[in-house]
Amino acid sequence: MFRSTSGTRRVLLVLCALLLSLVFVLPKQSRTLLQAIGKPLADIVALPLDVLSSADRHAGEIWDRYVALRKVHEENQQLRREIEFLRGQAADLREMAAANQRLGELLRFQAGAPAQTVAARVIGRDATNWYRGVVLDKGERDGIQVEMGVMTLTGAVGRVVKTRASSSVVLLITDPNNAVTSLIQRTRDEGIIEGTFGGTVRMKYIPLLSTVRIGDPVVTSGLTGGFPKGVPVGTITNIQKDEGELFQTADVQPEVDFTKLEEVLVVTVPRRSEEPPAVSPSEKKKP
Amino acid sequence: MRRLLYVGLVLGVVPIQTTVLDHLSVAGVRPDLCLVAVSLIGVFGGMADGVLLGVLLGFEQDLFSAGDAWINLTTKAVIGLSAGVVGRYVARTTPVTVFPMVLGLSVCSGIAFLVAGAGGQGTLAAVRAVLLPQAMFDTAIGMGLYWILAERFRKDDSLV
Repeated sequence: MFRSTSGTRRVLLVLCALLLSLVFVLPKQSRTLLQAIGKPLADIVALPLDVLSSADRHAGEIWDRYVALRKVHEENQQLRREIEFLRGQAADLREMAAANQRLGELLRFQAGAPAQTVAARVIGRDATNWYRGVVLDKGERDGIQVEMGVMTLTGAVGRVVKTRASSSVVLLITDPNNAVTSLIQRTRDEGIIEGTFGGTVRMKYIPLLSTVRIGDPVVTSGLTGGFPKGVPVGTITNIQKDEGELFQTADVQPEVDFTKLEEVLVVTVPRRSEEPPAVSPSEKKKP
Repeated sequence: MRRLLYVGLVLGVVPIQTTVLDHLSVAGVRPDLCLVAVSLIGVFGGMADGVLLGVLLGFEQDLFSAGDAWINLTTKAVIGLSAGVVGRYVARTTPVTVFPMVLGLSVCSGIAFLVAGAGGQGTLAAVRAVLLPQAMFDTAIGMGLYWILAERFRKDDSLV
């Protein structure tokens, strides 16, 4: 066996030597010969080559895809983080824009307000359920004192009942313990605004002969409560006129949304000012 | 550990009550966390701790409330004392025994507020709108917290 193999090897070695000699001696002819011999061999070799090449290509693709997927995953995570960050920034910007708008309006209102005011931020609600109040971030240090009125751009909020150096507590007009003298803007009838446990406001002691109507606006009278005259309180939504009673009572829908109080103005000096006339002078002459 | 807990309660409960708790309000009523905290401190820590924390938290609550400057201070001190008595004389406190305790203390506290004039003229409305819902809220929170604390204290008696 070894011998035959060795003989074949020898033959092959001789053939190789001949071929090489032929290549050097007759290069053109040998090239044609080599191509002729090589074709079938190439066809034979091409089969496993295709298989291997295909496998290699697939393996490469799989690897590339895996690596790429990992990269895509990382990129995805990175993009998600960026989206979250940008969303947060957008929310912050929206909040800042809203605050900016509110504060701008508050400043413009403060400049033209019929009273000297101090702007304050609401930092908390009353610590019990028994009183409807809010805590402000301004106190005695900023000139705030007990009994001062508190308002927003839209209307009356309440009055200061407690003060400390850097904070104060405001009793809202929706608290049953609060009372603010007010008047019906159209008829000029006075009454007292009082809160209810339902979170609404009631106007008591309206004269029996008053021609008050549903939809009439109610404003502060400026007599008590630390408010200047003419600060909107609300709109009359219901009137009770019981027989035998000396006064009428009306339900008032407050102008201010007390659940969304953020910034307020504390009236430090309630200057008297003429509110804009709501009715014509001819109507005013009527009883 | 106990001191740290008490300092945490004194510094944290009222700010939570005035700010975060507003988001958990149901029909405008929030649980009185100070009342619940004082009740549980009374049960776990004893009468003296209950009264002490009651005075401190009540005082702090009065500072941030539109009501009179004594009402929370006194009611919370009495609540702490009462809870301490319950903790001392009731052989085995469970969430079931805490239920009537917190409910009763919350209702009594509410009555004290009504007597002090917090409800204005609408006493019945105040009972319906504030007293009863708050008592139920306090009781639920109290039972839940008691259950959590009881589990914790069983494992670590040094806290008691």
